[in-house]
Amino acid sequence: MKKKNGLGPKIYLAIVFVILYAPIFYLMVYSFSSGDKMYNFEGFTLNHYKEVLQDTRLLIIVLNTLVIALLSAALSTILGVCGALAIYYVRKLRTQNSLLTLNNVLIVSSDVVIGASFLLLFTIVGVKLGFVSVLLSHIAFSVPIVVLMVLPKLNEMSPTLIDAARDLGASRWDTLSKVILPFITPGIFAGFFMALTYSLDDFAVTFFVTGNGFSTLSVEIYSRARQGISLSINALSTLIFFATMMMVIGYYFIAKRNQRGAGMGVGK
Amino acid sequence: MADQTIIRFENVTKQYDQDPAVLNDVSFSIERGRFYTLLGPSGCGKTTILRLIAGFTEPTKGNIYFHEKVMNDVPANKRQVNTVFQDYALFPHLNVFENVAFGLRIKGCKNDEIKRKVLEALRFVNLVGYENREIKEMSGGQRQRVAIARAIVNEPEVILLDEPLSALDLKLRTEMQYELRELQRRLGITFVFVTHDQEEALAMSDEIFVLNEGNIEQSGTPTDIYDEPINRFVADFIGESNIVPGVMKEDYLVQCAGKNFDCVDGGFNRNEQVEIVIRPEDLEITLPDQGKLRMKVDSQLFRGVHYEICGYDQDGNEWLVHSTKKANVGEEIGLYFDPEAIHVMRLGETEEEFDKRLEAYSEATHAD
Ligand SMILES: Nc1ncnc2c1ncn2[C@@H]1O[C@H](COP(=O)(O)OP(=O)(O)OP(=O)(O)O)[C@@H](O)[C@H]1O
Ligand SMILES: [Mg+2]
Repeated sequence: MKKKNGLGPKIYLAIVFVILYAPIFYLMVYSFSSGDKMYNFEGFTLNHYKEVLQDTRLLIIVLNTLVIALLSAALSTILGVCGALAIYYVRKLRTQNSLLTLNNVLIVSSDVVIGASFLLLFTIVGVKLGFVSVLLSHIAFSVPIVVLMVLPKLNEMSPTLIDAARDLGASRWDTLSKVILPFITPGIFAGFFMALTYSLDDFAVTFFVTGNGFSTLSVEIYSRARQGISLSINALSTLIFFATMMMVIGYYFIAKRNQRGAGMGVGK
Repeated sequence: MADQTIIRFENVTKQYDQDPAVLNDVSFSIERGRFYTLLGPSGCGKTTILRLIAGFTEPTKGNIYFHEKVMNDVPANKRQVNTVFQDYALFPHLNVFENVAFGLRIKGCKNDEIKRKVLEALRFVNLVGYENREIKEMSGGQRQRVAIARAIVNEPEVILLDEPLSALDLKLRTEMQYELRELQRRLGITFVFVTHDQEEALAMSDEIFVLNEGNIEQSGTPTDIYDEPINRFVADFIGESNIVPGVMKEDYLVQCAGKNFDCVDGGFNRNEQVEIVIRPEDLEITLPDQGKLRMKVDSQLFRGVHYEICGYDQDGNEWLVHSTKKANVGEEIGLYFDPEAIHVMRLGETEEEFDKRLEAYSEATHAD
């Protein structure tokens, strides 16, 4: 068999990636420009980065964003796994499908709708807008994503595996913790990281439910960009971009380790 | 013998929703240290019986006894039985050692005890040195042996095996049949083995239950069932057979295909309509006028071990013959058989009635 991989596909791929990444690189390059406009590169400087790092308000917002992301991802992973298990254990196929559809509707429905409805809900119930409201709404839109990542793993699992565990004397809890959860771990990780990224870059929902005095990065960048472009935003975006890259790489390695299925003993 | 009984089904019926019953008023008992086979066509309820014993489902009616205690509601993890599943159901996230150790760890055994028992179980199934392998690095036959090791390591009283050999190729399957039987003898544990392969059942079992549509048609040793099937279904399902209608002239004399033959069955009414069974390998080819029957050869198939010859007698009954001798298609041949080769079946007789009749007429014979 001769390798007939012409240059064509490679060039095509290269063009696609250049188009996708060009704006980001453009933005990154100007984060080092000593001017204050996004044209006419005027010489190299790290001033914008200094500015970002000295901006305590911004750093607090970054911290907020991270705390919200991690907390909401963790909580929604727990809720999502429970939800997926519940859907899995529903015996009737019709009910199972309806539940799944309800789940998917939440994913496809527009952020604005979700945001607006949460705003309404929080105002009616009387939850103060701020950290709690943002956290709750992030959890709410992440749970369906986790469910969607975990459920296929559950369905992939042979039901006789559960029978086998019971047969060997495992209680329901043992079966869950020693057979089902290890089996769906890759799905749980995938769900967690998806939830994390969705939370980190969410703008629309957060915009609705965040009050005075509490903000996340995307909302903050938006409001700063409206006040006029400052290249420190470029610097901030560059930093975020690299942080995201690190996370993707980290996820890649975790996924790889899981794939090898390193024998996690049932030991106590 | 009663104290040897481990499991007893008493009029067990299993029904899903409004569907017709999957198991129909089934009763049987299982004794210590024997090899049982549940044999029957697909969908007859074999797996259902295993699931009832293992505790994955509950009977709709009737009782399941374990050492004479009702077991209906005892959950699977509290029963002294272990299952080897059809797809093995090994845990993919655990290696061979941890798979086998699973049950012991649940029980909370000490680490050195676990190690000793697991290695012993692996030695039993010839898998020493494979402890640290991942499941996906094992072949089909090896996986099956891991599944068996995982079951025996818990020292259950009964091991249930659901068609464990069906995924293997013929050669490995034959090999594993020997190994399983040998293993059962060495361990002295009761095996309940499910298969739809009658040769496998005959080769391995102490006792066979032939199932059909949720009923036990017949139970007995392989030779009992092969030589004395109680009805057409069993005769047909256990090996190939010639089944022809006949009339019982008197005890030990049956008429079929227009002739009278000596036989060894009795306890019938005079001139009762019956069916007679003759196994194809019990028919011997002779010259046309030397046999008890004449038939015209219609087709012949070479099967390796023997020729499979098919033909019709003057009355139009079809006969199947297994013979190492060759015949020619279109030729007229004679068929010879011993009186013992004939097995007479009463129409619509249940197993109980069959046993009673057998007892009655053998007593009568002894009284003579
Ligand atoms: N959960 C269930 N719900 C409804 N019907 C079922 C269920 N499980 C089994 N059945 C029915 O019970 C009958 C017997 O099934 P079972 O699995 O015992 O057959 P089997 O003898 O093991 O067949 P095979 O040789 O194909 O494995 C089948 O008709 C099947 O459709
Ligand atoms: Mg089955």
